[in-house]
Amino acid sequence: MILTNYISSILLMTLGLYVLCFQRNLVKMVVGLGILDYGVNLLIVSIGYRAGGTAPLFVEGEIQPGMHFVDPVPQALTLTSIVIGACVTAMALAIVVQLHRKYHTLDTGEIRRLRG
Amino acid sequence: MMFERLIPHCPVLAVMTLFLGAFLTAIFGRSKAARRILLMLASLLSSFFMALLVKPVFFDGQIISYWMGNWAPRAGYAIGIGFEVDGLSLFFALLVSLTVLLSNLYSLRYIERDDCGDYYCTLALMLGGSVLSLVQTGDIFTMFVMIEIMTFACVALTAFRKRSEGALEAAFKYLIVGCIGSSLVLTGVILLYAQCHTLNMAQLSALLAGNLTPATVFAFALLLTGFGVKSYAVPFHFVAADAYMAAPSSVSMLFSGMVNKAGVYGVIRLCYIIMQSMRLPALQTLLVTLGTLSMFVGVTMALRQHDFKRLLAFHSISQIGYVLTALGLCTALGIAGGLYHAMNHTLFKGLLFLCAGAVWYAAGTTDLDRMGGLSKRMPQTCAIFLIAAFSISGLPPFNGFVSKWIIYQATFEKAAEGGGFGYIVVTVVALVTSVMTLASFIKVAQSVFFGQERPELAHVREVPLSMRIPMWILAVLCVVTGVAPGLVLTYVVAPATYAVTNVTGYINTMMGAGYAESVMTVPAQSIPVDASFAGYYSPVSWLILFAVLLLAFALVALLGKGSRGAVCQDDTGCDDKYAVFFGGERVTRSTVAGSDLFWGFRYNFRHYFRWMGNVHSGVVNDYAAWAVGAGAVIILYLYALL
Amino acid sequence: MINWWILFYILIFPGFLFCLVAAFLLSGIDRKLVARMQKRIGPPILQNFYDFMKLMGKETIIPHEANRAVFLAAPVVGLLALVTVVLFIPIYRFSAFGGIADVVVILYLLTVPAVALIVGGAASGSPYAGVGISREMVAVLSYELPLVMVLLAIGKKVGLALGENAVTFSMANIAAYQNLFGPLIAKWSMIPAALAMLLVIPCEVGCHPFDVAEAETEICEGPLVEYSGAPLGIFKLNYYLKMFVMTALFTALFLGGRGTGYIALDALVFFLCCVCVTAVSMSLVRAVTARLKVEQVFKFYWTVVAGLALISLVLAWFGL
Repeated sequence: MILTNYISSILLMTLGLYVLCFQRNLVKMVVGLGILDYGVNLLIVSIGYRAGGTAPLFVEGEIQPGMHFVDPVPQALTLTSIVIGACVTAMALAIVVQLHRKYHTLDTGEIRRLRG
Repeated sequence: MMFERLIPHCPVLAVMTLFLGAFLTAIFGRSKAARRILLMLASLLSSFFMALLVKPVFFDGQIISYWMGNWAPRAGYAIGIGFEVDGLSLFFALLVSLTVLLSNLYSLRYIERDDCGDYYCTLALMLGGSVLSLVQTGDIFTMFVMIEIMTFACVALTAFRKRSEGALEAAFKYLIVGCIGSSLVLTGVILLYAQCHTLNMAQLSALLAGNLTPATVFAFALLLTGFGVKSYAVPFHFVAADAYMAAPSSVSMLFSGMVNKAGVYGVIRLCYIIMQSMRLPALQTLLVTLGTLSMFVGVTMALRQHDFKRLLAFHSISQIGYVLTALGLCTALGIAGGLYHAMNHTLFKGLLFLCAGAVWYAAGTTDLDRMGGLSKRMPQTCAIFLIAAFSISGLPPFNGFVSKWIIYQATFEKAAEGGGFGYIVVTVVALVTSVMTLASFIKVAQSVFFGQERPELAHVREVPLSMRIPMWILAVLCVVTGVAPGLVLTYVVAPATYAVTNVTGYINTMMGAGYAESVMTVPAQSIPVDASFAGYYSPVSWLILFAVLLLAFALVALLGKGSRGAVCQDDTGCDDKYAVFFGGERVTRSTVAGSDLFWGFRYNFRHYFRWMGNVHSGVVNDYAAWAVGAGAVIILYLYALL
Repeated sequence: MINWWILFYILIFPGFLFCLVAAFLLSGIDRKLVARMQKRIGPPILQNFYDFMKLMGKETIIPHEANRAVFLAAPVVGLLALVTVVLFIPIYRFSAFGGIADVVVILYLLTVPAVALIVGGAASGSPYAGVGISREMVAVLSYELPLVMVLLAIGKKVGLALGENAVTFSMANIAAYQNLFGPLIAKWSMIPAALAMLLVIPCEVGCHPFDVAEAETEICEGPLVEYSGAPLGIFKLNYYLKMFVMTALFTALFLGGRGTGYIALDALVFFLCCVCVTAVSMSLVRAVTARLKVEQVFKFYWTVVAGLALISLVLAWFGL
């Protein structure tokens, strides 16, 4: 089951990178950034997964022998990463709006005044 | 000493001050005066805290460690977030502090004419804080977060500048490629966590020593690519040129002074300390190849440019190539040369960007084809520019000469010590790159400061004092680090070089004494550091230098009797003796445009230049594809050879 | 007192005085040789000295467009750099000042006179100078690649023989090698490098087939077009000094040897070697060739001359 997670996270990341490299629409590229992020996030959560583990929350005396948790650290990392991803998306979309106002297009092939 | 107890807290205080300053300027920054006061206060305080660390770290050789919330490691596992400042971290942190301080001082007046919105102060402080924290942290995930804050601030600072033609475009490109880089870093970090169950760099380093499994090699390749993207070595350099050009000059200084140094720092920390794999020839070859490519491509692209700041941007890439090449040699001389050059690059490239900013402030353009004859209007800026240009071209006695000289020596010796003929090629490329650097700055000097004055630039005045002060400080530093290389090597570069090789010390300071010895399967092999390379300027040559300078002044004084007639306003009563020679005809002006200089060189390289022009296509997808493709190549290469 | 010796080195031998005398003599002999090759009588040997003295007494005119300080300081900076180079060049066993890697120092100091010429020309504000400095810079780019390769080839060859570090950037080591094993030009693997170096000399000095920067007939002496009086005199002096410095560098690199042990005699032999090198590399070439175009100069140096240097470099690499 966890293998599916790994495979799909790698697929998501590849898809994200593919979109960034070959899609010529700015909005689609921002979506690609998002997909890349989600792929990484899925990978992080999957790494913390332990089969049969419970949530890493407990109070004194609640722990039983034989009980184990999923790793909490990756979850904290995922949260951070999600927040950063959201910020990046917001920033990117804001720039895309401005770019459209200025260049009247979303095609990357036409937004290339800086070259050579 | 009243600061004794403050010292362990200094790293985190320096970072906190900058971030706090950023938030306070955002909250209380309604008025311009308040913003400025907060900006300067925060950067001054932060620099003060960093300066306190110089004595314990550089002079006494301590390594400062600090656990956030006092979460020291328990049972051999470091869960808390720690700061760890060794010589290497402090070396880069001081560069960052200096850059932030001078850039902020410069920006006080500069941003009056440049429009970065009211958020300039907030973002500049955030950028400074993130890089300062990046180079001091002992936690690899914190490093990632700081990279993201850094990218974010960089993008915002570039995009806010509405007056520049390509600002938005550059910001978007920077964001895309930057995010690819940081996603790769994050994936690498996560894979390392999956292998070692820790994010602390010291512990990672102890656990990973001699432990190159397929998963760690993959993580290593991802991290290396990620930091490579952040240092803007060659296949990742496209966006750097755009962003440096489009950002305000004080921010360009931050970019090239510390943001790409953060990438270099990441590469050093990763290769030398976390993975401890620099001794593998395959990795050395990789870094040296990247560095040499950066050197050559950067400098040849710079020769093509006709925009002052874009030209400087390509030179940044080229100089980072020197640094990576030297660091890739994995010899004491190479590391010292690389670090020395990184420092020099911060000084002279920052200075050059400030000069470009001053020219923009005064003349309103950075296009080389539309300027000329500014040296009489802006004599101080011109003098400063010449100092910086001679420094970056490596003319003695300026600082670029010393570091480049160490780098040549290091590459040449590496070639002899079994490095192969390739290192000879590297030496030749490095030496020729240096001359090309000189050529492109001659072009700038001729088309901006010398040559005939343009009538539309007759109103130009020298920039205000608060902009000249940081420029003079950097200019003086360029000269000082050039004429006193012995002192700089002994007190600044040698501690940093030692820190690069002192893996055991790095681990034990963080994890407790004896941890490294008990955990590491392979004992850390340190590279012998010998200090004998500081030998260029002996006291004897000091005397030579002084005598020669004295004579120079005497001769100039003798020559100073040259005469110049009154400036003629019209054709009547004007003395043609003092006019510029035009082949006997009276022509008012005729300039050689910047892009037409060096025709003889460009003609012979026309195929190469056309090809490079096509590669720098301006399409962001291509840039992303180059980054991803280079990452894939690096992964495959490391798998094949490690 | 070591300090006084240093002053003596700088001012008398092998510094200013020796340099100037040697430079004037050498350039005079060169003019005489070229004249003889062209069946002319030629000027007296000291003609350049007379010209220089005359120029020093003339009025200095600074154009309106010029940046006064840079315009006046440029020739002096070039002069000082050239004299400093001489201090680093060993005359057989005698060397005024040596370091660990003085070859790199020499290499960089040699670009300073060119930079001085360029910056001085740029500061004069003339469009002719603008064309001239662009050509001068391309010339520097042209000869730098072969020069670097020649120096690396020698460094490898000498380093291998002396066994210390297996490479060297030190003039002292190069001199010591020739002291032990005879002049480098006698080693067959170094002959291509010597040829390359001989071809680098005229371009570095800026004399005839490669004087694209100053091309009197096209651009009126390029960077020097606005110069007059003393600064022009010093630039002319720089030209003569460059002749001496480059031939002296060749002599030190390729024609070294045991020496006699008497400094005066050594200096004389050294100077005679310089004269021979001048005759071969500059006078002869100058007398029989016409000026090249700037892109031809670049192509020539990056293909033919660099190729020669590369042959030596590869041979030296394989220990030959």
